[in-house]
Amino acid sequence: MITNPVASPTAVARQWFLARSDLDALIQALRKAGRTVIGPTVRDGAIVNDEIQSAADLPAGVRDEQSAGQYRLAERADERVFGYTVGPTPWKRFTFPPILPIATAHRSGSFGFEQPKTVAPQLAFLGVRACEIAALGMQDRVFLGSPFTDEDFRARRKAALIVAVQCTTSSSTCFCSSMGTGPEVRTGYDILLTEIDEGFVIQAGSPAGAAIVAHLPTRQPTHAETGAAVDVVEAVRTQIGETLPIAGIDQRLKRQLDNPRWGVVAERCVECGNCTMSCPTCFCTSVTERSDMEGRISVTERLWDSCFDINFAKVAGGDFRARPRDRYRQWLTHKFSSWMDQFGSFGCVGCGRCITWCPVRIDVREELQAIAPVIQPIERPVAVEPVAASPGSYSIARLASVREETGDTTTLSLTDLDPAFLSGRPGQFVMVALPAFPAVPISISRFRANGIDLTIRAVGATSTALANLHPGAKVGLRGPLGTFWPIEDAYGRHAMVVAGGVGLAPLRGLVEALVANRDRFESVSLYYGSRTPEDQLFSDDLVAWSASKAIDVAVTVDRAGPEWKGRVGVVTTLFDMMSCDCSKITAFVVGPERMMQASVQSLISKGVPTERINVSLERHMECGIGLCGHCQTGPYFVCKDGPVFRLSELGDLYAREGI
Amino acid sequence: MDDHASVIVMLNNTWFGSELAPETQERLAKLGTVQEFEADEIILHEGEEAIEMGILISGRLALRQMVPERGPVTILSVEPGDIFGWSAILAATKAQSTVVATEPSKALVIEGATLRAALKEDHALAASLYPRVLSAVGRRLRATRLQLLDLFAR
Repeated sequence: MITNPVASPTAVARQWFLARSDLDALIQALRKAGRTVIGPTVRDGAIVNDEIQSAADLPAGVRDEQSAGQYRLAERADERVFGYTVGPTPWKRFTFPPILPIATAHRSGSFGFEQPKTVAPQLAFLGVRACEIAALGMQDRVFLGSPFTDEDFRARRKAALIVAVQCTTSSSTCFCSSMGTGPEVRTGYDILLTEIDEGFVIQAGSPAGAAIVAHLPTRQPTHAETGAAVDVVEAVRTQIGETLPIAGIDQRLKRQLDNPRWGVVAERCVECGNCTMSCPTCFCTSVTERSDMEGRISVTERLWDSCFDINFAKVAGGDFRARPRDRYRQWLTHKFSSWMDQFGSFGCVGCGRCITWCPVRIDVREELQAIAPVIQPIERPVAVEPVAASPGSYSIARLASVREETGDTTTLSLTDLDPAFLSGRPGQFVMVALPAFPAVPISISRFRANGIDLTIRAVGATSTALANLHPGAKVGLRGPLGTFWPIEDAYGRHAMVVAGGVGLAPLRGLVEALVANRDRFESVSLYYGSRTPEDQLFSDDLVAWSASKAIDVAVTVDRAGPEWKGRVGVVTTLFDMMSCDCSKITAFVVGPERMMQASVQSLISKGVPTERINVSLERHMECGIGLCGHCQTGPYFVCKDGPVFRLSELGDLYAREGI
Repeated sequence: MDDHASVIVMLNNTWFGSELAPETQERLAKLGTVQEFEADEIILHEGEEAIEMGILISGRLALRQMVPERGPVTILSVEPGDIFGWSAILAATKAQSTVVATEPSKALVIEGATLRAALKEDHALAASLYPRVLSAVGRRLRATRLQLLDLFAR
């Protein structure tokens, strides 16, 4: 790794003042030290980094105007020489050349391959900004941070002396403060300049830098000058602001691999590769061969490549990223997600070049926020402390009554139980055990004054044994466990409950709470689908809710005989033709996974926000408290972090096969 | 008898009709007649020639098919705003199911041959009507697929 000169941000480093008229002395000192000076100069209507001979080559009195797809130079009202932000040339051009011979092969006389020796030019980079120093550091990690290193890069990087410049202005495309890379230069420089009205406040960050500064016609800066140097950087930080909420974006992106926005942005993208070529961190390359006509000598060259190139991921059997959307996703997810996994940081420094130099004005900040928006943390009331939380420990309850709901579903009313169970919330569940039977998770379908109801479909040994119990029997309980329905999310909105089959059980408590607090909601509706009329749960409740007028109840069945006068069709047919301002809906959905998926798709297509769609997941659970690992779904344990989730929390994890 | 203007108002209150162009609503109101059905009234028998398409204004219709040894099975209910007999747009054909009103119902009914002739001659009408019909048919197809999956089965 390159050992960057480190200047402690906390230590008060020695400072000098250099008049603007004496800046050429710095350039000449660098040249006299045997270095070629690379610095900003105006060429072809842009400020590019190239070899400069003197201070006269610098863009004095020039500023730039940058926005998405726009770059223009204009005159400044003063003679500042660093009064602009970053141009199209990343410094990697000099540490990681666009074209580099890496081998020569010959078959004339002898046969062999030769690797050219790197002769790294002694360069001085003048005008390196904070974001660009961060970019050099990122390439250090890429090229030098693994057992296989790029020795050409190492040599060039080591031979470069960094004269950094604090940003004293910003562009609308800058977002270094969001990425944590700027605008203040804190480390990684040999000499640091801060341009103020009359000249420069200078600091040295390394012995090599101090040796150069020692030859300059400097003086001690005044308090006003050092104060101005601090203020100007702070002002730039304020100008830039933190426009991109970056925390956690690497994880958020991982859940958005199927976001339709990839297709939308890919329709705009022309795949010119400008973003990758102007990016100071992009490091992908290809290798090409040049040979003489007889094939006796050939030269292997390494060239910058772009993951936007249509052949970038091509193999003999096809292309792994055949669609433009695949390539755009590759680029963005590498920069902001998988780069973190590979190299421990983001692959973006927020310099904004990819925004400025995009001919179709794609702004990476907009795309990130559209594809992986910040998920507001769920503020749920604190759940009651569960009773008998550890596996194997059970609180005993007595079965007060049994009600047969359908041919295979039974409701057990439990009483004489720990009062903590009564403080549970709709959507929570309990682990229920009988001697000799493994414990199973069962949703609480009703909270009563002196007990709870569990509605059980007899599908396995334990559930069948539970369904066959008689009043007076005892059961073991652990709970209440898991998350609950965020009823507060529906205050002032249309509360919409969508249930399928036995999925009405974990929703019954919610429906009762919605009805009990009816005034808090714009409307309350229940859409319930079952296989046949005989499979409907809680038929008495359905009648009572309909009669109460507090809630609109619509039920449907998948199939029926002629005696059934109600709706026939899957549950989504109940709201497919619904017309309302669907953005004001808060939905609560439970049912078989495929039914929930169809319902969720329908709700999204109508404009219900994903953060307002709540689902309850059913997964294999053994412990109910996040220890056994059976219910893991992506970053969550469904028992502990769920079972109730906002769809926006699940992202692509929801309904994804094999997760 | 409902007058022309009230038929347009009815259409505007339906899922199917509300997004049609005003000229299409006008045309359909002229082409069709509003019919009322009593509860349990059979509108069309399975196997008979299906010659009309309807837009249900109110009430509920059941589409039933006869299964030997099981009797009539309701496979779909038509709710207000939806269409029935849509295949009459394509050609006169045999009804695939019995259509029965399960409660007092009202519909705008259009004779298939008349509608087909109008669609052939009036391309603007066709351009307005077909996407809406396709949307209804697509929705029904998606729902049928889910029914096929028998989601609630053990």
